[in-house]
Amino acid sequence: MKLRKLTELALLTALALIIFVIELRIPNMIPIQGVKLGLANIITVYAVFQYKPSETAMLVACRIILGAMFSGNMSALLYSSAGAFFCLIGMILISRFLDLKYIWICSILGAMLHNTGQILVAVLVMQSTAVFAYLPVLILSGSIAGAFTGLCAQLVIRRMQNTTP
Amino acid sequence: MKNKKIMIIIIIIIIILIFCVIYTVRSFRNPSGKHVLIIQDNQIIYNLDLETAEDQEIRINYQNHYNMIKIQNHEICISEADCPDQTCIRTGVLKSETLPIVCLPHKLIIRYAEEGESP
Repeated sequence: MKLRKLTELALLTALALIIFVIELRIPNMIPIQGVKLGLANIITVYAVFQYKPSETAMLVACRIILGAMFSGNMSALLYSSAGAFFCLIGMILISRFLDLKYIWICSILGAMLHNTGQILVAVLVMQSTAVFAYLPVLILSGSIAGAFTGLCAQLVIRRMQNTTP
Repeated sequence: MKNKKIMIIIIIIIIILIFCVIYTVRSFRNPSGKHVLIIQDNQIIYNLDLETAEDQEIRINYQNHYNMIKIQNHEICISEADCPDQTCIRTGVLKSETLPIVCLPHKLIIRYAEEGESP
């Protein structure tokens, strides 16, 4: 049982990394720091609803560290880990009382918290509150992306429940 | 009970989104002043008036890296940088009063001065 779970988590991490690397190849159309589709978060949302919080945290931590290495952008590690930390806490709390029908709401909230965490770190790093101006723009774009990834995760979870015993 | 909680969450999300939309739309307004601050490491290193500034290029070094800031036709933008993401260049010309040009790796901010800040 334990081995099975380990394998599943490793598989999911690999999947998330593949999605992450493919997304790196897609040129970013909106020239604002931090605006991103975040397709790899489909896996995160999936894991939040299918695994224990500790297992999800391990998966996301692995993905972020390996993702930073693969993209060669180590300075982004700080921002993405802070974002993921906030996002995970929020999503795990809220997933306790959400139906599987409302996964996209959880994902939107996660995206908002992710962007808030990123901006907080940016403010700390730059020591300037001017960066706060980006927060509403980021939350707006993040919610759209979050709704999309959340809907994807919802589709995946529904399919998986039909196939796995 | 469960439905009530979901409704509350949805309402909170919608309220936050409305605020964000209003703010984003507002940030596209044209700025009132023409004073621009170039800030690095929370220190104002240049204080320019775009109205009178002549066309020029300013090189700003940060450790072993640099940003080239270009002023042309009373507009300011970053023309060149050796940071990995190049977002500051693609941000383009500084237009919005609230949204600054930011280069996170080099801790560089270009923004319009607020009232009372200009000399």
